[in-house]
Amino acid sequence: MTPAQEVDYILNDCFFAVGQAVGTQKSLDFDVIPWWRARYRAFFLHAMSANGNSWLRDRHRVTAVGRFLGQRALHHAGESPSIDLRTAGLASNDVETGCRMSAEREGVSASQA
Amino acid sequence: MNTQETGNPFNADVTESLATSTDTFTSPSTVDIQELERQVEYVVDDCFFTVGQVVGMRTTVDYDAVIWWRDHYREKFLAAMMAFGNRWMQDRANVTSVAFMLAERAVRYSEGKSSIDIESARKAAADVERHCELHARRAARRQGRDTSDAAVPRIAGYWCTYP
Repeated sequence: MTPAQEVDYILNDCFFAVGQAVGTQKSLDFDVIPWWRARYRAFFLHAMSANGNSWLRDRHRVTAVGRFLGQRALHHAGESPSIDLRTAGLASNDVETGCRMSAEREGVSASQA
Repeated sequence: MNTQETGNPFNADVTESLATSTDTFTSPSTVDIQELERQVEYVVDDCFFTVGQVVGMRTTVDYDAVIWWRDHYREKFLAAMMAFGNRWMQDRANVTSVAFMLAERAVRYSEGKSSIDIESARKAAADVERHCELHARRAARRQGRDTSDAAVPRIAGYWCTYP
Protein backbone atom coordinates (compact mmCIF):
# COMPACT_ATOMS: atom_id res chain seq x y z
CA MET A 1 0.00 0.00 0.00
CA THR A 2 1.33 3.43 -0.86
CA PRO A 3 1.44 6.17 1.81
CA ALA A 4 -1.36 7.99 -0.04
CA GLN A 5 -3.57 4.90 0.29
CA GLU A 6 -2.51 3.98 3.82
CA VAL A 7 -3.11 7.48 5.15
CA ASP A 8 -6.87 7.14 4.60
CA TYR A 9 -6.98 4.10 6.91
CA ILE A 10 -4.91 5.97 9.45
CA LEU A 11 -7.26 8.95 9.33
CA ASN A 12 -10.25 6.65 9.88
CA ASP A 13 -8.46 5.16 12.86
CA CYS A 14 -7.89 8.66 14.23
CA PHE A 15 -11.47 9.81 13.67
CA PHE A 16 -12.57 6.79 15.67
CA ALA A 17 -10.20 7.78 18.50
CA VAL A 18 -11.40 11.41 18.52
CA GLY A 19 -14.99 10.18 18.67
CA GLN A 20 -14.15 7.94 21.62
CA ALA A 21 -13.08 10.93 23.68
CA VAL A 22 -15.97 13.14 22.58
CA GLY A 23 -18.57 10.52 23.46
CA THR A 24 -22.25 10.99 22.77
CA GLN A 25 -22.77 14.18 24.75
CA LYS A 26 -21.93 16.42 21.77
CA SER A 27 -22.22 16.16 18.02
CA LEU A 28 -19.70 17.22 15.41
CA ASP A 29 -20.49 19.82 12.76
CA PHE A 30 -19.92 18.22 9.40
CA ASP A 31 -17.66 20.99 8.13
CA VAL A 32 -15.11 20.09 10.80
CA ILE A 33 -14.49 16.76 9.07
CA PRO A 34 -13.01 18.10 5.80
CA TRP A 35 -10.99 20.59 7.82
CA TRP A 36 -9.47 18.02 10.18
CA ARG A 37 -9.00 15.55 7.30
CA ALA A 38 -7.12 18.01 5.11
CA ARG A 39 -4.96 19.17 8.00
CA TYR A 40 -3.94 15.79 9.39
CA ARG A 41 -3.71 14.06 6.01
CA ALA A 42 -1.01 16.55 5.08
CA PHE A 43 0.79 16.15 8.42
CA PHE A 44 0.65 12.36 8.31
CA LEU A 45 1.80 12.14 4.69
CA HIS A 46 4.68 14.42 5.50
CA ALA A 47 5.64 12.25 8.49
CA MET A 48 5.31 9.08 6.44
CA SER A 49 7.50 10.40 3.66
CA ALA A 50 10.09 11.69 6.14
CA ASN A 51 10.20 8.64 8.41
CA GLY A 52 8.57 5.82 6.48
CA ASN A 53 5.27 4.28 7.43
CA SER A 54 5.56 3.42 11.09
CA TRP A 55 1.84 3.42 11.86
CA LEU A 56 1.70 0.04 13.56
CA ARG A 57 4.58 1.08 15.78
CA ASP A 58 3.22 4.56 16.49
CA ARG A 59 -0.51 3.81 16.45
CA HIS A 60 -0.93 3.54 20.20
CA ARG A 61 0.73 6.91 20.78
CA VAL A 62 -0.97 8.75 17.91
CA THR A 63 -4.48 7.52 18.69
CA ALA A 64 -3.90 8.65 22.29
CA VAL A 65 -3.19 12.09 20.84
CA GLY A 66 -6.41 11.74 18.82
CA ARG A 67 -8.30 11.13 22.05
CA PHE A 68 -6.62 14.20 23.52
CA LEU A 69 -7.83 16.18 20.50
CA GLY A 70 -11.36 15.00 21.27
CA GLN A 71 -11.00 16.01 24.91
CA ARG A 72 -9.77 19.49 23.99
CA ALA A 73 -12.59 19.91 21.47
CA LEU A 74 -15.08 18.96 24.18
CA HIS A 75 -13.48 21.45 26.54
CA HIS A 76 -13.55 24.31 24.03
CA ALA A 77 -17.13 23.51 23.02
CA GLY A 78 -18.24 24.37 26.55
CA GLU A 79 -22.03 24.47 26.71
CA SER A 80 -22.46 24.30 22.95
CA PRO A 81 -24.26 21.14 21.78
CA SER A 82 -21.79 20.59 18.96
CA ILE A 83 -18.13 20.93 18.05
CA ASP A 84 -17.79 23.58 15.36
CA LEU A 85 -14.85 24.75 13.24
CA ARG A 86 -13.72 27.35 15.76
CA THR A 87 -13.67 24.76 18.54
CA ALA A 88 -11.88 22.23 16.32
CA GLY A 89 -9.24 24.84 15.45
CA LEU A 90 -8.62 25.64 19.11
CA ALA A 91 -8.36 21.96 19.97
CA SER A 92 -5.91 21.34 17.12
CA ASN A 93 -3.82 24.26 18.28
CA ASP A 94 -3.66 22.84 21.82
CA VAL A 95 -2.70 19.39 20.60
CA GLU A 96 -0.11 20.57 18.10
CA THR A 97 1.48 22.86 20.68
CA GLY A 98 1.70 19.89 23.05
CA CYS A 99 3.19 17.69 20.33
CA ARG A 100 5.82 20.30 19.45
CA MET A 101 6.82 20.70 23.10
CA SER A 102 6.99 16.98 23.58
CA ALA A 103 9.10 16.56 20.43
CA GLU A 104 11.49 19.28 21.58
CA ARG A 105 11.85 17.61 24.97
CA GLU A 106 12.66 14.33 23.30
CA GLY A 107 15.08 15.99 20.90
CA VAL A 108 13.02 15.04 17.85
CA SER A 109 12.92 17.43 14.92
CA ALA A 110 9.60 19.03 13.96
CA SER A 111 9.31 16.85 10.87
CA GLN A 112 9.46 13.72 13.02
CA ALA A 113 7.05 14.85 15.73
CA MET B 1 -25.36 19.69 11.75
CA ASN B 2 -23.74 23.00 11.27
CA THR B 3 -26.16 25.83 10.91
CA GLN B 4 -23.92 28.59 12.19
CA GLU B 5 -21.82 30.98 10.21
CA THR B 6 -18.79 31.21 12.41
CA GLY B 7 -16.81 33.61 10.25
CA ASN B 8 -13.59 32.31 11.70
CA PRO B 9 -10.33 31.77 9.81
CA PHE B 10 -10.98 28.01 9.60
CA ASN B 11 -14.27 28.52 7.82
CA ALA B 12 -13.20 27.52 4.33
CA ASP B 13 -16.33 26.53 2.47
CA VAL B 14 -15.31 22.98 1.80
CA THR B 15 -18.76 21.42 2.14
CA GLU B 16 -20.68 23.62 -0.25
CA SER B 17 -20.57 21.08 -3.04
CA LEU B 18 -21.83 18.27 -0.83
CA ALA B 19 -25.54 19.05 -0.92
CA THR B 20 -26.02 19.05 -4.63
CA SER B 21 -27.71 15.86 -5.62
CA THR B 22 -31.25 14.87 -6.50
CA ASP B 23 -33.15 11.73 -7.34
CA THR B 24 -32.57 12.53 -10.99
CA PHE B 25 -28.83 12.01 -10.66
CA THR B 26 -27.64 10.50 -13.92
CA SER B 27 -24.54 8.48 -14.76
CA PRO B 28 -21.58 10.35 -13.32
CA SER B 29 -18.80 11.61 -15.56
CA THR B 30 -15.14 10.98 -14.79
CA VAL B 31 -14.96 14.36 -13.09
CA ASP B 32 -18.07 13.55 -11.05
CA ILE B 33 -16.56 10.23 -10.01
CA GLN B 34 -13.37 11.92 -8.84
CA GLU B 35 -15.43 14.39 -6.85
CA LEU B 36 -17.55 11.62 -5.30
CA GLU B 37 -14.38 9.70 -4.42
CA ARG B 38 -13.19 12.79 -2.57
CA GLN B 39 -16.52 13.31 -0.82
CA VAL B 40 -16.97 9.68 0.21
CA GLU B 41 -13.90 10.06 2.41
CA TYR B 42 -15.75 12.64 4.52
CA VAL B 43 -18.72 10.31 4.84
CA VAL B 44 -16.51 7.42 5.98
CA ASP B 45 -14.67 9.69 8.43
CA ASP B 46 -18.00 10.88 9.82
CA CYS B 47 -19.10 7.30 10.40
CA PHE B 48 -15.82 6.31 12.08
CA PHE B 49 -16.18 9.33 14.36
CA THR B 50 -19.72 8.27 15.27
CA VAL B 51 -18.77 4.65 15.91
CA GLY B 52 -15.95 5.92 18.14
CA GLN B 53 -18.39 8.14 20.03
CA VAL B 54 -20.63 5.20 20.86
CA VAL B 55 -17.82 2.79 21.71
CA GLY B 56 -16.36 5.49 23.94
CA MET B 57 -13.73 4.34 26.39
CA ARG B 58 -15.30 0.91 26.88
CA THR B 59 -12.81 -0.74 24.53
CA THR B 60 -10.55 -0.04 21.54
CA VAL B 61 -10.52 -1.27 17.97
CA ASP B 62 -7.90 -3.38 16.17
CA TYR B 63 -6.35 -1.82 13.10
CA ASP B 64 -7.41 -4.72 10.88
CA ALA B 65 -11.02 -4.11 11.97
CA VAL B 66 -10.60 -0.48 10.90
CA ILE B 67 -9.28 -1.64 7.54
CA TRP B 68 -12.15 -4.08 7.08
CA TRP B 69 -14.86 -1.53 8.01
CA ARG B 70 -13.33 1.11 5.77
CA ASP B 71 -13.01 -1.18 2.74
CA HIS B 72 -16.51 -2.54 3.27
CA TYR B 73 -18.40 0.72 3.76
CA ARG B 74 -16.40 2.93 1.44
CA GLU B 75 -17.33 0.64 -1.43
CA LYS B 76 -21.02 0.63 -0.47
CA PHE B 77 -21.19 4.36 0.16
CA LEU B 78 -19.45 5.15 -3.12
CA ALA B 79 -21.80 2.83 -5.03
CA ALA B 80 -24.80 4.55 -3.43
CA MET B 81 -23.39 7.99 -4.25
CA MET B 82 -22.71 6.97 -7.86
CA ALA B 83 -26.31 5.87 -8.18
CA PHE B 84 -28.09 8.65 -6.28
CA GLY B 85 -25.56 11.46 -5.97
CA ASN B 86 -24.26 12.73 -2.67
CA ARG B 87 -27.24 12.99 -0.33
CA TRP B 88 -25.14 12.84 2.83
CA MET B 89 -26.34 16.13 4.27
CA GLN B 90 -29.95 14.96 4.01
CA ASP B 91 -29.28 11.40 5.19
CA ARG B 92 -26.55 12.00 7.76
CA ALA B 93 -28.76 11.72 10.86
CA ASN B 94 -30.31 8.46 9.68
CA VAL B 95 -27.05 6.83 8.71
CA THR B 96 -25.13 7.88 11.80
CA SER B 97 -27.94 6.47 13.92
CA VAL B 98 -27.24 3.15 12.22
CA ALA B 99 -23.56 3.64 13.04
CA PHE B 100 -24.69 3.75 16.69
CA MET B 101 -26.09 0.25 16.22
CA LEU B 102 -22.90 -0.94 14.51
CA ALA B 103 -20.86 0.24 17.47
CA GLU B 104 -23.11 -1.38 20.06
CA ARG B 105 -23.10 -4.68 18.20
CA ALA B 106 -19.31 -4.55 17.83
CA VAL B 107 -18.88 -3.89 21.55
CA ARG B 108 -21.16 -6.81 22.32
CA TYR B 109 -19.34 -9.19 19.98
CA SER B 110 -16.01 -8.17 21.46
CA GLU B 111 -17.03 -8.99 25.02
CA GLY B 112 -14.30 -11.08 26.63
CA LYS B 113 -11.73 -9.80 24.13
CA SER B 114 -9.22 -7.02 24.63
CA SER B 115 -10.59 -4.97 21.72
CA ILE B 116 -12.97 -4.98 18.76
CA ASP B 117 -11.30 -7.42 16.40
CA ILE B 118 -12.02 -8.06 12.74
CA GLU B 119 -14.38 -10.92 13.54
CA SER B 120 -16.48 -8.72 15.84
CA ALA B 121 -16.45 -5.93 13.24
CA ARG B 122 -17.69 -8.32 10.52
CA LYS B 123 -20.43 -9.79 12.69
CA ALA B 124 -21.62 -6.34 13.74
CA ALA B 125 -21.74 -5.20 10.10
CA ALA B 126 -23.75 -8.29 9.13
CA ASP B 127 -26.29 -7.59 11.90
CA VAL B 128 -26.64 -3.97 10.89
CA GLU B 129 -27.07 -4.76 7.22
CA ARG B 130 -29.73 -7.34 8.00
CA HIS B 131 -31.55 -4.72 10.03
CA CYS B 132 -31.18 -2.15 7.24
CA GLU B 133 -32.52 -4.53 4.60
CA LEU B 134 -35.57 -5.38 6.67
CA HIS B 135 -36.15 -1.75 7.54
CA ALA B 136 -35.73 -0.68 3.91
CA ARG B 137 -38.24 -3.25 2.73
CA ARG B 138 -40.79 -2.26 5.36
CA ALA B 139 -40.32 1.44 4.66
CA ALA B 140 -40.62 0.97 0.91
CA ARG B 141 -43.88 -0.93 1.41
CA ARG B 142 -45.21 1.78 3.72
CA GLN B 143 -44.34 4.48 1.21
CA GLY B 144 -45.87 2.62 -1.70
CA ARG B 145 -42.53 1.62 -3.21
CA ASP B 146 -40.44 4.74 -2.86
CA THR B 147 -40.56 8.48 -2.39
CA SER B 148 -39.90 10.81 -5.25
CA ASP B 149 -39.23 13.71 -2.91
CA ALA B 150 -35.48 14.25 -2.90
CA ALA B 151 -35.74 16.46 0.16
CA VAL B 152 -36.99 13.61 2.35
CA PRO B 153 -34.10 11.83 4.01
CA ARG B 154 -33.76 8.33 2.67
CA ILE B 155 -33.68 5.39 4.96
CA ALA B 156 -30.20 4.31 5.96
CA GLY B 157 -30.63 1.03 4.09
CA TYR B 158 -29.61 2.31 0.70
CA TRP B 159 -26.29 3.57 2.05
CA CYS B 160 -25.24 0.32 3.69
CA THR B 161 -26.95 -2.28 1.55
CA TYR B 162 -26.35 -0.82 -1.92
CA PRO B 163 -25.79 -2.37 -4.44
